[in-house]
Amino acid sequence: MIESPAGTGWYVYGVAEDDPALARLDGVELIRRGTLAAVAREVSLDEYGADVLPERLNDREWLERNARSHEAVLQAAAAVTTVVPLRFGTIYRGRGHVERMLEERNDEFRATLARVRGHVELGVKAWVDLAAVGQTLDPAEQPLEGGAGMAYLQQRSREQDRSREVTARCFELAEEAHGRLAGIAVAAVANRPQPRELTGRSESMVLNGAYLVPDGDEQLRSEVDRLAAEHAGLGVEYELTGPWPPHNFAGEWE
Amino acid sequence: MSVIERRSLAEEVTLLDLVDRVLNKGVVVTGDITLAVGDVDLVYVGLRLLLASAATLEREAA
Repeated sequence: MIESPAGTGWYVYGVAEDDPALARLDGVELIRRGTLAAVAREVSLDEYGADVLPERLNDREWLERNARSHEAVLQAAAAVTTVVPLRFGTIYRGRGHVERMLEERNDEFRATLARVRGHVELGVKAWVDLAAVGQTLDPAEQPLEGGAGMAYLQQRSREQDRSREVTARCFELAEEAHGRLAGIAVAAVANRPQPRELTGRSESMVLNGAYLVPDGDEQLRSEVDRLAAEHAGLGVEYELTGPWPPHNFAGEWE
Repeated sequence: MSVIERRSLAEEVTLLDLVDRVLNKGVVVTGDITLAVGDVDLVYVGLRLLLASAATLEREAA
């Protein structure tokens, strides 16, 4: 088996059925086996070697550039044919290794391609202003009784109850939204909402969903509009991203 | 009514959205070099630290 020259490897972005239109994509090469083609690029192992990759990931500028480039290649491929995205940073030491992987995984790739063909992934996030949700709940205030110490404890207890109610309400909103969107989509995944310390926003993310829908179908978009209209008074904001290649629906086979 | 739309290739899609998909999803096949699950967790920790330090810098600049 021929290996690449020392110091280079083949970075594989995704796998598709071999298609002449794929061969015209800039900056990538196709590695073929059977009816499948891996969309790949030769990369330097100085950049992508096992010993440097984990450290590179902590370089925000490097991460952003390469994550965007990974996505850009997948989108270019997805524009011409159905592609199964591979996870970022899947690298082989030689073309022969990629060919062997395609051969070993032929059935899984072809089944996944058949499942996602003609579909795209849309992302829907819901953001909630917790204070605004709190204001929509019944006040249920009663005068505080007893001395100052007792009043303080009652106040604390009420605040804790209120916080639990707000959390429960947010959970309900997220469940309702995800349920309605999942009912329209071919497949749906509710991912862990991104934590506030990472989003940097004052609102809390309560829904981080991904939905597989027919390409060009506007039903999910319309349902998001309806949800936004219905929940506007609750301080909920919806965000739609995509269309994405089917990252969330490519399946994990291992 | 508010729905914000972000096209996935546009710069406005956050790095977090990309990390959520590109690093966290997609088919996992064993390459000669493959990111381990722990590496991806490290990315989140790394981003958290980077954002925390950016916030600190902003506060210091204020």
